[in-house]
Amino acid sequence: MSDRFAAGMLRAEIERLVDDRPEAGVFQVHRDAFISEAVFALEMQRIFEGTWIFLGLAPQIPETHDYFTTTVGRQPVVVMRDAEGTLGAFYNACRHRRAAVCPLERGNARVHVCKYHGWSYDSAGRNVGIKGVQHGAYAEGFVREDHGLMPLARFANYRGFLFGSANPDVPSIEEHLGDMRAFLDLVAEQSPNGFVCVPGNVGYEYRGNWKLQIENGVDAYHFSSTHPSYIGILNKRRAQGESGGSVYAGFSDAELFRATMTFPHGHNALYGSNPASEARALNAAMPALRQRLGEARAQWLMYTRNVTIYPNLQIAENASLQVRMLQPLAPDRTAMKTWCLAPHGEAPEALQLRIRQYEEFFNPSGLATPDDTVNYEDCQTGYRAGFDFQQGYLRGMGVRNPQRSAAVQALGIHPIAGTEGTFDLGDETVMHSPWREWKRLLLVGAK
Amino acid sequence: MIDPTQEVAQFLYREARFLDTRDWMAWLALFTEDAVFRVPAWKSEHDITTDPTRELSLIYCASRTRISERVQRALSGRSVASIPLPRTQHAVSNVMVTHTDASATVQANFTVHLFDLKKKDTRVFFGHSTYQLLRVADDWRIRDKTAVLANDYLPTLLDFYCV
Repeated sequence: MSDRFAAGMLRAEIERLVDDRPEAGVFQVHRDAFISEAVFALEMQRIFEGTWIFLGLAPQIPETHDYFTTTVGRQPVVVMRDAEGTLGAFYNACRHRRAAVCPLERGNARVHVCKYHGWSYDSAGRNVGIKGVQHGAYAEGFVREDHGLMPLARFANYRGFLFGSANPDVPSIEEHLGDMRAFLDLVAEQSPNGFVCVPGNVGYEYRGNWKLQIENGVDAYHFSSTHPSYIGILNKRRAQGESGGSVYAGFSDAELFRATMTFPHGHNALYGSNPASEARALNAAMPALRQRLGEARAQWLMYTRNVTIYPNLQIAENASLQVRMLQPLAPDRTAMKTWCLAPHGEAPEALQLRIRQYEEFFNPSGLATPDDTVNYEDCQTGYRAGFDFQQGYLRGMGVRNPQRSAAVQALGIHPIAGTEGTFDLGDETVMHSPWREWKRLLLVGAK
Repeated sequence: MIDPTQEVAQFLYREARFLDTRDWMAWLALFTEDAVFRVPAWKSEHDITTDPTRELSLIYCASRTRISERVQRALSGRSVASIPLPRTQHAVSNVMVTHTDASATVQANFTVHLFDLKKKDTRVFFGHSTYQLLRVADDWRIRDKTAVLANDYLPTLLDFYCV
């Protein structure tokens, strides 16, 4: 595991991991990016503790004094709502000897007492008690020092999506998110009162590199070959006269359009039409949404959308609406935390349709996701194979000067690049932007 | 006269045996057509979700048809997560039958050892199940199986044969 005294990697060593020469039709990533302990240590330091990280969702902690705990890279963090309802992010470490102050994944407390030496903090992170301070024979000046929980260097709330950075030297969250704000808006505005997290925790761990999830989240190419058992189930349901139930009913990749977009800071998006939009939970609310948001935004809500907000947040809205948070644990271990989101106040039948599709498509205990994660694990094994580069980022390289579609213009966003085609195109250039940001961040401070 | 607890326990052992021997058609036949099979998600450290219409389950099948889809998928040869299928061994214990006549409510603990043949790795799933059984001739059928998984930080995946 890295520390700041570790030697790190030289600039040239990092440079050669991503061979990025689009004008020559070349984009390749070295296998060391997936398996090296040294690379992982740098990723922790320069990506997960170096840029904005997704922490969680404000609706997880709706009440005053609610909190949840998480990590930023390797660092323990607590996000709390204080007596006034204001959110704050702090290191979950007592100022005295750093024992965890908040013990639960999610909880509610006005006062947090460290179980080791009894220092206490309120829900705004202020120190409200040092056990036996008057008997402690502290040196003069101690009482005037700040003893509150150490705030995380940066913290921001964008429409319920909470971000933090252990590094103070990052751009504003507005600049970091850029056009991705439009995709968060599309989640937040599905109800005038925002969104809720459907109760029920889902956490899992796969034996593969975190970037395998980053790639797969916007990978249209894998669907028909990774999920034939799921598609087969849906076709059988349809043959037996069960209509709807899944947006993938009647899946036929040649008939669906798929477009990709890349953005600064490693973000990207994949979007397109659904085979069976009537199976979308949101469908019943569409007339009202059209009226409130206009035709163009309503159309965006009906598109399938897979979005990466680099480096650890993915949002997928197709069968249902999922938020995924990645927490890398080792080069070959990744923890995933996932949420099923619903518009606040959704009608009971729609909510139920949403939950059922979520469970069968997105859950690690469902009919589709296990086939993704096991593929990641098989890839992880393959990254041990002793050839340097794989050929996985080249579909779509031949697309030149893509048109900026009316839909993109209507959303008011300005992607760096993009492609448009059918599901069969299976564009992979969408994955270039995360890799470019990966390289950029790893090179910060490299010698 | 057969001890009803013993009889129900024998039924649960049979179910476990069908799961572990991958005799999954026989396993499916233990369920009524309208059977519910559910693995609820946890809400917090010690609370599980209880209302599947408003809350998330890890697995929720509201009919035998839905359960059978899982079996088909696992046996299809087209699910990489199911190739090769793991070896499993269910241990069912602490069987408590709260009433028996035409139906029975049964609580039991489960420990499932799973050997992942690709990773050469053993996983353990444990928890407790509640069954609603219906008397059918001289046997029972499962109307509801709710398996509460205590260790819900899932190792890559979870399927019907893990509980």
